[in-house]
Amino acid sequence: MSTQGWDDDQALLADLGDAWREVAPVAAALTARAHAAYSWRTVDDDLLLASLRFDSAVEPVTSSRAGGDGPRILVFSSTPLSMELEVLPDQIVGQLVPPGIADIVVETEAGPAARVRSDERGYFLISPLPASPMRMRCETSTGRLVTDWVSL
Amino acid sequence: MRRICRVHPRLSLPTHPTQRVVLALRRVEEVSVDDEQAPIARLVTAANRGDQEAWRELVARYSPLLVSVIRRFGLSRAETEDVAQTVWLRMVEHLGALREPHALPKWLITTGRREAMRHLASGRRDWPHDPQQDTWPSVPSDDEGPDEALVRAERHEALLAGLAELPGRQRELLIMLMVDPPLSYTSISERTGIPVGSIGPTRARAITRLRQTPPMLAYQTEVEGLSRSAKGGRP
Repeated sequence: MSTQGWDDDQALLADLGDAWREVAPVAAALTARAHAAYSWRTVDDDLLLASLRFDSAVEPVTSSRAGGDGPRILVFSSTPLSMELEVLPDQIVGQLVPPGIADIVVETEAGPAARVRSDERGYFLISPLPASPMRMRCETSTGRLVTDWVSL
Repeated sequence: MRRICRVHPRLSLPTHPTQRVVLALRRVEEVSVDDEQAPIARLVTAANRGDQEAWRELVARYSPLLVSVIRRFGLSRAETEDVAQTVWLRMVEHLGALREPHALPKWLITTGRREAMRHLASGRRDWPHDPQQDTWPSVPSDDEGPDEALVRAERHEALLAGLAELPGRQRELLIMLMVDPPLSYTSISERTGIPVGSIGPTRARAITRLRQTPPMLAYQTEVEGLSRSAKGGRP
């Protein structure tokens, strides 16, 4: 198959119709949720956005910390603060880099789902697993950070 | 942009009431002319400034493409919705980085694919599905091989990405024309405000325009390139 047929208006419209009808019901069902996503927009110049830089679910793990069956590891990084998460079946073990005490809030679409404080080595524990999608917001003595949204 | 610069100096001198009316008309003209341009960059900029309507318009225009991108990974309907929503949530915070008009569809496609792959690989899939709850409309037929399915998915992505870039009225009309069972021109006219006699010409212009959108042109160039190299580099 190629683009042959797209020269003809009727054929092009028929193809477009196939594409449209396959996805329109799901797209329509998602509309209210996708509109509400906008209410999570943060307007805060001082807030660091930590992007998802590594995910062991899609990238090969070379470290000995986790083999193929080990916990999923997510790394969110910004300058100067990063966050690493190990996603276990019933909890998340997290660490802030550089280490330090911080107040951490887990956010889901329904609102804040958990609040924890990291210890001086930067470790924190979240249990049970929050709903997906979720993100972390954290405040340390040196700055504030919010991660990308992820589904667990 | 050039047009706006030309009008602006006069706008600063609205001395006479008649002149104000003329200027107001000019601005209406500017808006409708602007509607003929690809509106995506403007929507991204507006949404990034806090315009919720612009965000809603982006969602309406691009949800079909995003769902189509995720769909090809064979996720259930509920999983597809969650992955798509993760992409929308993430995009809210990335609007500021999307100044180029075509950065948005590229970002959506890349992020949608990556998130669908993450979901597949995360081992947290909610199998087994209840097939009654989870059926997709017109799922590709069983006799379709992986190659055909891929070609079909890419064609669909090009078409939906192109549709998303059409001016408002043209896009609205094409969507109305795709409703199954088909609507009569009278009923389309009532819903869109396009006179019955203008539907045919608007449809023709919309389709011509769709062919010329960057995603459709890029797809056609790519396919032609592939078929030429498959035929052994015909001149």
